[in-house]
Amino acid sequence: MSGIPTPRLSRRALLLASAATAIAAPAAEAQTPRPGGTMVMIVNPEPATLASYAVSAGNIPPITTQVYEGLLTYDWDLKPQPLLAKSFEVSADGKTITFKLQEGVTFHNGAAFTSADVAYSFMEIAKKVNPNGPVILRELEAVETPDAMTAIFKLANPAPYLMMSLSSNNIPIICKSVFEGTAPMQNPTANRPIGTGPFKFAAWERGQFVRLDKWEKYWKPGLPLLNRIIARFIPDAATRTAALETGEAHYAGYSAVNAADIKRMQANPILGSTTLGYGTTAATSVLEFNMRRPHLAKKEVRQAICYAIDRQFIVDNILYGFGKPAVGPLSSVFTTSGWFTDDVRHFDVPNRLEIANKLMDDAGYPRGANGVRFGLHLEVNSFGEQWLRQAEYLKQALGQIGVELTLRSEDTATWLRRCYTDYDFDINEPFYSAGADPVIGVHRHYVSSAIRQGTTFVNNKDYRSPVVDKLMDDATRELDPTKRADLYHAAQKQMVEDSPGAWLAEVQYVTIFNKKLHDHTMGPLGTYEAFSRAWLER
Amino acid sequence: MRAAMQRFARNRMAVLGALVIGGVVVLTVTAPLLYPAGAFTLAGPPLQPPGARFLLGTDALGRDVAAGVVQGARTSLLIGLSAALSAVLFGSLIGALAGYYRGAVDIVLMRLTEFFQTIPAFLLAMLLVVIMSPSVLSVIIAISAVSWPGIARLVRGEFVALGGREFVLASIGLGASGPRIIFRHLLPNCVSSIIAIGSLLVASAILLESGLAFLGLGDPNVMSWGLLISAGRVTLRSAWWVCTFPGIAILLTVLSINLIGDGLNEALNPRLRER
Repeated sequence: MSGIPTPRLSRRALLLASAATAIAAPAAEAQTPRPGGTMVMIVNPEPATLASYAVSAGNIPPITTQVYEGLLTYDWDLKPQPLLAKSFEVSADGKTITFKLQEGVTFHNGAAFTSADVAYSFMEIAKKVNPNGPVILRELEAVETPDAMTAIFKLANPAPYLMMSLSSNNIPIICKSVFEGTAPMQNPTANRPIGTGPFKFAAWERGQFVRLDKWEKYWKPGLPLLNRIIARFIPDAATRTAALETGEAHYAGYSAVNAADIKRMQANPILGSTTLGYGTTAATSVLEFNMRRPHLAKKEVRQAICYAIDRQFIVDNILYGFGKPAVGPLSSVFTTSGWFTDDVRHFDVPNRLEIANKLMDDAGYPRGANGVRFGLHLEVNSFGEQWLRQAEYLKQALGQIGVELTLRSEDTATWLRRCYTDYDFDINEPFYSAGADPVIGVHRHYVSSAIRQGTTFVNNKDYRSPVVDKLMDDATRELDPTKRADLYHAAQKQMVEDSPGAWLAEVQYVTIFNKKLHDHTMGPLGTYEAFSRAWLER
Repeated sequence: MRAAMQRFARNRMAVLGALVIGGVVVLTVTAPLLYPAGAFTLAGPPLQPPGARFLLGTDALGRDVAAGVVQGARTSLLIGLSAALSAVLFGSLIGALAGYYRGAVDIVLMRLTEFFQTIPAFLLAMLLVVIMSPSVLSVIIAISAVSWPGIARLVRGEFVALGGREFVLASIGLGASGPRIIFRHLLPNCVSSIIAIGSLLVASAILLESGLAFLGLGDPNVMSWGLLISAGRVTLRSAWWVCTFPGIAILLTVLSINLIGDGLNEALNPRLRER
């Protein structure tokens, strides 16, 4: 019995000593990458599948981009950088792109990576089953493979956006021999991915975690540094916060943590936060007006609604400050590329309510005895409570201009069917990511060719503007950046004037991480890129 | 009846419960006067702690929590009472038919009742609300639909027990019709049990409604305690008041109704006390 106190004492002494070293450790030593260790990241919610080549849900790529790689990655200025493609060359007419591939790359099943895998991934998988395929790869006619390390893309028309859409997240390169002769979604690797990335898939315990192990034969020498990544699924937001605060989890991207908790977590000395790594999302919350409805068919009414909303209030109280007011259909993240313009009709003017009420009067909808002009329904976004809060605010805001808003909150399937198949809605409050190029995630909400009944998150507003159609169509093919910017500026101006929707707030995602985890956010793709250089301080 | 009132008044806890519920009813009635602007109005700066201007503080959007609690009382009582009442009416009818006619009618109705009893009440209520799309009416229907089986079984049991009594046999002998026997002779004899169980049903209906609203299945256009709690949950660690006060309101109301129910049970069925 007398032996017990001694080890307890020494353990405490040891802890104290290690704490002291941690405090005294010079910064230079802390910055030397150390291999080994297991990183735990929180992914929320748990993905339904890991078939990132066929499903574009945002909770899949944090896991699959560790396993699958794309041809390219992007630097902080969103300039294409080599990944599986060692180099690339776009011909002068923009119709031929030649990729030279990395040599000595092997898939996790041991197969060698060649141009045949690239051709199969694009022509047989991405073009056929990737939901973004019809847009991004519309002009891609063929992938030629003159030798094992060269892939030549033949395009029908120039497609400047294509070079912005080749990341591990956009078009993952799969192993041809695994997929050949099978239906892509039924392929056994749909939930057991085999790629060329720094981590290989090990196990998926449903409801618990996905385990990824270091791929020993990874083609980048000395990488990855981590031995293992565990992606944990924790359904309850408070528990996710607690997991980070206790150091049980190291990383949570895409605002997996409640916005209300972020400020408090930022004050926690063991945690850090960053808003970097979301450069290609351009997430914006919007309203969609159903222009088939008589009230909303009038431009004055739509503009009046835009004037009635205090966007700064939404940013401050619904996003807890993590965002900024939106001014139009293009996010301000497109400022660096030059496509964004602020030169549009501004709704956030001091006398906005006065203008809104006058527009309503002019449209021929005077206030009734109870101050109400007419009533509309708002379909509440079913993807979380934040949207119900926003809906409750909108009800108050529109009340100020005499529009009585009735909220309707239904389950996801019913909501989507009502808004995108039955068109039985007045106002909808969805949320979009524009992607790295407007062609990827902006065009489909506004061009008349994207009025496709039954397809979710396309033009359900019945917005048909020949001017905007033409401008966007030209912008799709324009190779000259200045001319392309001019086309987008004109399109934005026209769309804000027409107000087929209201653009509310640009959402700023926040990543919360344990300060022991280093080098996790290495580019604009953030959590949609492999943690090949990430390492843990121990 | 008078004796029953006296017995109820002697039960101090039940009187306390009745006082609390009386207070809630007064608040409900005076709500439009106290907070004429309604509970959804953005009354002031967000997340203000309780103080002089906002008695119970404000929530994340700057809405007055006190206004929400008062307006929520109305929703809770409205839904609790209507759901319990419709469950009692429907349950009594089913139970009476099964208990009086017995035989095939009894077998069919009781299997139906058991079918509803075996499905978890809350899950069934959720499903019904989702199918009918959330509104005050659909919530009332869903709660009644999961609450009636208990009443039906109770009433059937009472009917079976009373069925062989002399006064019933005499009525049959005198040629009284089935409905007359059920409504004039049998039902009045089990009304005390129905009232006692029915009052407890109000409490469980309020709890069910709060649970549904908490999960976002309440009517989004109507303020309710569950909605307040679910909205305040995200700020629980920085603004405790947003979900604490509606939580206390639910606790007090449900507890009081239960106390009243117990009091009624003892007052109306005095023999229970002797057991």
